[in-house]
Amino acid sequence: MANRRHGVPDRKSENDMITCELHEPADLQEAAQYLRQYLDDSRLLAGGTDLLVDLKTARVEARHVISLHRITNLRTIENRGDLRIGALTTVAQLENSPRLTGAFTVLREAARQMASPQIRNSATVGGNIASAVPCADLPPVLGVLNASLTLWSPKGERQIPLTEFFSGPRATARREEEILTTIVVPQPPPRFGAAYARFSLRDGNSIAVASVAASLALDGHGAISACRLMLGAVAPIPKRAVQAEQSLAGLTLVHGINDAIALATQAAEPITDLRASADYRRALVGILTRRALTTAHQRAREATND
Amino acid sequence: MTELRTLIINGESHAVAIQSGETLLDVLRDKLRLTGTKKGCDGGDCGACTVLIDGTPMNACLQLASTLEGRRITTIEGLAAGGQLTPLQRAFIDQGAVQCGFCTSGMILSSTALLEANGQPSAEEIKHALSGNLCRCTGYAAILRAVEQCTGKCDDCHRDKHDAHSDATTNGHLRAQARANGRDLSSCTNVGQPVARIDAADKVTGRATYTADIALPNMVYGSILMSPIAHGLIKRIDTSRARSLPGVLAVITGADVPQNTYGVSPARYDEEVLARAKVRHVGDPVAAVAAVDEATAQKALTLIDVEYEELPAVFDALEAVKPGAPLVHDRYERNINTHVAHNFGDVEAAFATSHHVREEVFTGNFVYQCPMEPQAAIAYWEHDGRLVLYSSTQAPHYVQYMLAHVFHMPLGQIRVIRPCVGGGFGVKAATNPLEVCSAVLSRMTGRPVKIVFSRSDTFHYYRGRHKQHMRFKLGVDAEGRITAFKSEIHLDGGAYSSFGVATAYYAGSMIPTLYKIPNYRYDGLRVMTNKPACGAMRGHGVPQPRFAFECLLNMVAEDLNIDPIEIRRRNAMTPNTTTVNGLEIGSCEFLATIDGVERDSHWNAKYGKLPRGRGIGVASGGFVSGAGYCIYRGQVQAQHEKGPEKFQKKSIFPHANAVIRVSEDGMAAFLMIGAAEIGQGSDTILVQIAAEAMGIPHTRMRMRSEDSDISPLDLGSYSSRVTLMAGNAVAAAGESVLDRLRPFAADLLGCAPDEVRARDGMMYSANDTTNTVDWAEVARQFFNEHGPLVGTGCYKPPDGLGGDYKGATVGTSPAYSFGTCCCEVSVDLETGKVHVDRFTDYHDCGTAINPQQVHGQVEGAIVMGAGEAIMEDVQFDATGHLLNPNLHGYLIMTIKDAPEIFSGIVDSYEPRGPYGAKEIGEGATLPVMGAVAHAIKNATGVWIKDLPITPEKILAALKAREAPQQSPPAYKEAVGRPAS
Ligand SMILES: Cc1cc2nc3c(=O)[nH]c(=O)nc-3n(C[C@H](O)[C@H](O)[C@H](O)COP(=O)(O)OP(=O)(O)OC[C@H]3O[C@@H](n4cnc5c(N)ncnc54)[C@H](O)[C@@H]3O)c2cc1C
Ligand code: FES
Ligand code: FES
Repeated sequence: MANRRHGVPDRKSENDMITCELHEPADLQEAAQYLRQYLDDSRLLAGGTDLLVDLKTARVEARHVISLHRITNLRTIENRGDLRIGALTTVAQLENSPRLTGAFTVLREAARQMASPQIRNSATVGGNIASAVPCADLPPVLGVLNASLTLWSPKGERQIPLTEFFSGPRATARREEEILTTIVVPQPPPRFGAAYARFSLRDGNSIAVASVAASLALDGHGAISACRLMLGAVAPIPKRAVQAEQSLAGLTLVHGINDAIALATQAAEPITDLRASADYRRALVGILTRRALTTAHQRAREATND
Repeated sequence: MTELRTLIINGESHAVAIQSGETLLDVLRDKLRLTGTKKGCDGGDCGACTVLIDGTPMNACLQLASTLEGRRITTIEGLAAGGQLTPLQRAFIDQGAVQCGFCTSGMILSSTALLEANGQPSAEEIKHALSGNLCRCTGYAAILRAVEQCTGKCDDCHRDKHDAHSDATTNGHLRAQARANGRDLSSCTNVGQPVARIDAADKVTGRATYTADIALPNMVYGSILMSPIAHGLIKRIDTSRARSLPGVLAVITGADVPQNTYGVSPARYDEEVLARAKVRHVGDPVAAVAAVDEATAQKALTLIDVEYEELPAVFDALEAVKPGAPLVHDRYERNINTHVAHNFGDVEAAFATSHHVREEVFTGNFVYQCPMEPQAAIAYWEHDGRLVLYSSTQAPHYVQYMLAHVFHMPLGQIRVIRPCVGGGFGVKAATNPLEVCSAVLSRMTGRPVKIVFSRSDTFHYYRGRHKQHMRFKLGVDAEGRITAFKSEIHLDGGAYSSFGVATAYYAGSMIPTLYKIPNYRYDGLRVMTNKPACGAMRGHGVPQPRFAFECLLNMVAEDLNIDPIEIRRRNAMTPNTTTVNGLEIGSCEFLATIDGVERDSHWNAKYGKLPRGRGIGVASGGFVSGAGYCIYRGQVQAQHEKGPEKFQKKSIFPHANAVIRVSEDGMAAFLMIGAAEIGQGSDTILVQIAAEAMGIPHTRMRMRSEDSDISPLDLGSYSSRVTLMAGNAVAAAGESVLDRLRPFAADLLGCAPDEVRARDGMMYSANDTTNTVDWAEVARQFFNEHGPLVGTGCYKPPDGLGGDYKGATVGTSPAYSFGTCCCEVSVDLETGKVHVDRFTDYHDCGTAINPQQVHGQVEGAIVMGAGEAIMEDVQFDATGHLLNPNLHGYLIMTIKDAPEIFSGIVDSYEPRGPYGAKEIGEGATLPVMGAVAHAIKNATGVWIKDLPITPEKILAALKAREAPQQSPPAYKEAVGRPAS
């Protein structure tokens, strides 16, 4: 809200200069030292497409910026059955990676719909997750692919499922000295498909008003053996629609889809903002759930998987 | 923390002192003076700052410069190695992909990276690669063609289509005109040609200099503090903390600035330089500072303590007129700024006998012009007391006039320089706080002061479209011929008058220019609210009423089962007609535009025959070619202390004035006229006209339009006036040069002076075209005998324009444009999302002086208008704060959203225009929104009468129709009746 006394309307002026001290650690150890030293007066800088905007608009205030640009070993995508994405991999790398085949191509689709080419060339996968913005595009997709996150600190590494990482808008389970290093996506089971359905108000460069990611695995009879549904931009965090997922277990899609849509819609906790009303967002969740499930199902049926 | 860092830019190493938080954009622009990289938003949304980092496009505004050591940075300045343009830069020039040029550097760098990676991109791939670069001028069509020109396969269909237009509108077109009008335009070598813009090469190389790019010696930086509340009294301002900040040179409040108010309409100067006692909207200027650098200036603003007493505020025009509503200004009773009551014929009697009458309520939106260049100004004072102002303005003369008023100075003591302007669309037509505050701060500091608006500031200053609440009633006979039309409009004007009085008149006056309306009544109220002031935007006051009228006409056509194209034909304006409100229509090829779109859109195969979810719609529009009267009355006065002058039904002084000086060797001619090139291309067409009039190639012309010390008065770029008015002045100046040469040529040719003709650099005798002499040789002869060869010309609109009622002047013009377009859309019937697929447009702009530029205006207007129709909307919260003062919340179309466009020009000749020309820039906007709304209706079955037509509104209307027992969705407001 407006800083009444100082009188600049709502501080979103976006031309405010950034005043900070910049640190450029050469490796994770050094980065962790800075983090420990400056604690909550510091921020990690990856692509900067969230952080620099936040610093300019004073949404975030931090005197110390710790840039990860010298750390070059976290910029790769490896696919050895499971997928290991370095946190500093750019969204453009994801969009264009030939290593993302099979069910993983959904990541390319999501990356392609995100932001603009210039932003994607800079924005990182780790930053998209760590900033924990409810409308971020990659968390729902990574979530339905059962991704987990590797959080590193000098004390050691821990692994946490992506779906447990988010605790609120811009709030996560990351501890102060931790750095997100890798996103691990397990090899999907046979007959698995995933899809991402997204709605935005403009075809180029606009954030999601609502999004739904779905994945499902089919048994030998065509019934759903496992399902994941994640909702974006309609809750304080990228949210799993657990009941909807469960409702589909053991059913064929045609039999289960309507209930799943109703349950997914119930799981949404949308707000009204300048882009859409809560009611419209709820309606979108239903439509997008149908689309995502239908495409995921189609893909699962087509998947030969090895 | 500042450190010396080495950046590799365009292959050269630069050691630069960089602050930790500094972005690459600021380092490039401010430290290295590589100003070809532009700042349009500073937030990653516009792409104007695109540079290549190791060959990859990125936003320089979102890169910390210090982190880029060792990376290869390429800016626009790095492309044309050795002065040789790249094929892409050439293609941007060839295809007319450059207008204001503010997006151009970014566009070219994004395209360069694409072509580097993929030499054969498809149209889809090009759109994907350019979707992070916003352009407000071109509608992206020419940009797409430019990239395609470089793909080798060179998607010929696109270009052919345009070449076909060019053919139709140059040679063949002019020949036809010559026959029709008994005038010979077929021999023109400049007029009618798709000449490349004269400023295009500078714009594709980043050389073009915009106000914010200029750094004067010893310059300091200003910044303006804006009100954080919508309505309140200023109880106390304490600037002491700001003054004591090191680096701060001056702090000013309402007490330190000239006390006279200013504005646009002389009867309603209600803007204060800085608020003295009261603030009236969030963003109202309250104080300003000058400091040694931008960061200090911004810091100082946060140290100014202002204590406000908040007052109740009013945000809704329909609430504001109710008795007891808070008053925004004491002087406007019930917040009514202007009341227009026009009544021609007897509408009620006509409705009573009409075959069919339909009444509907429509609501407009707050649409911001959103030029890609934010406003900027630099002021300094000469030692002899003269004021020099650089400003990003589209009306330098009115700025000069208003500064003279504010500072009590003679006009001649003020010099206004207009560098390149990155688009205007109306927002740069009024004098703004930057211009006045930079002058005040400069006088106090004795140094040049530069102030640049941030993107957020531009939204808080606004001066965008009025939101209009419209109740329209249309009566027709059994054949669909209009019998009467009644219009009641509340215009939400925001906190100040600005252009609003004219807006309120335009909203009514332009409706009868398109169709014959025998009985017409218009009641308009412009209402003050505690929001940023509205002003003039492309199509000034008319687009929303035109949208509503076209929708209503289409509704009536459907009610009576008449084809919407046919109902337009039956009512269409005809040449040489005086409208019911006293406007003189001269040339008018409206019918031809209707025929053109019917044919080329394949209307008959599509209308009513497309599958559900796809639709086609039609609408028409047109505009003035320049306002018949100046904004102020009387002469260009020396002093501003005199009282108001009595209105006379004629122009007191010429609205456009030109001087041409020919170089001593006869090989160049300098055209001087204060007409404001803001991206629309006026410099180029004026040069074409001058060259034509003199009979030399346009390549010999130089344009000097930027400096009021050099270029004589022209009223500026508004009301689509430049082509006709400045064009006439320039043609007259060219003819006067030629007249001075005639006796010399006659001597050399051995003929009578009046037999001398000039064409393409040669002079010859009308009787013997083989007897020629070099034009330059004749000019040299003149110089040898008489010294400087100079010609002058001026243009006054015809005397006596308009009727004899109050407000009759607004809407008068020497000539009117006409146009019709068909729009095709696809609608996702589940979500309500609209994609605008295609537009077919035909326009009567008179002679197209430069067909490429006409198509460029049409393409830009269509994309702007289509965005206005479906996505653009400045939104406010309950306390009057803007919710989307930025380019991620306020959405304008990207290249992915833009439709395919077919633009055609019909044969037309306007005797009052230079070489028969009228206007295109604003007229092209007018049919767009109505056509989009109609196409959506055609696709979905529902009319949305409330702009913008968002997916959410469409879905709500579809749902309401499925469940007819429920009442239809309540539109946000019902229109109350204006008190009359
Ligand atoms: C114009 C524009 C359009 C956008 N559109 C979209 C869109 O359509 N969809 C979308 O999802 N996002 C969008 N974004 C947001 C943004 O681009 C993405 O979220 C991006 O992925 C963020 O990555 P980054 O590397 O730039 O993060 P940064 O800005 O560098 O960092 C973001 C946050 O994450 C933290 N962080 C970064 N890396 C790590 C790490 N390795 N470990 C721990 N913490 C870390 C930082 O400290 C910071 O708090 C848009 C942004 C802009 C400016
Ligand atoms: S200025 Fe960088 S994207 Fe607009
Ligand atoms: S030419 Fe693209 S913004 Fe003006």
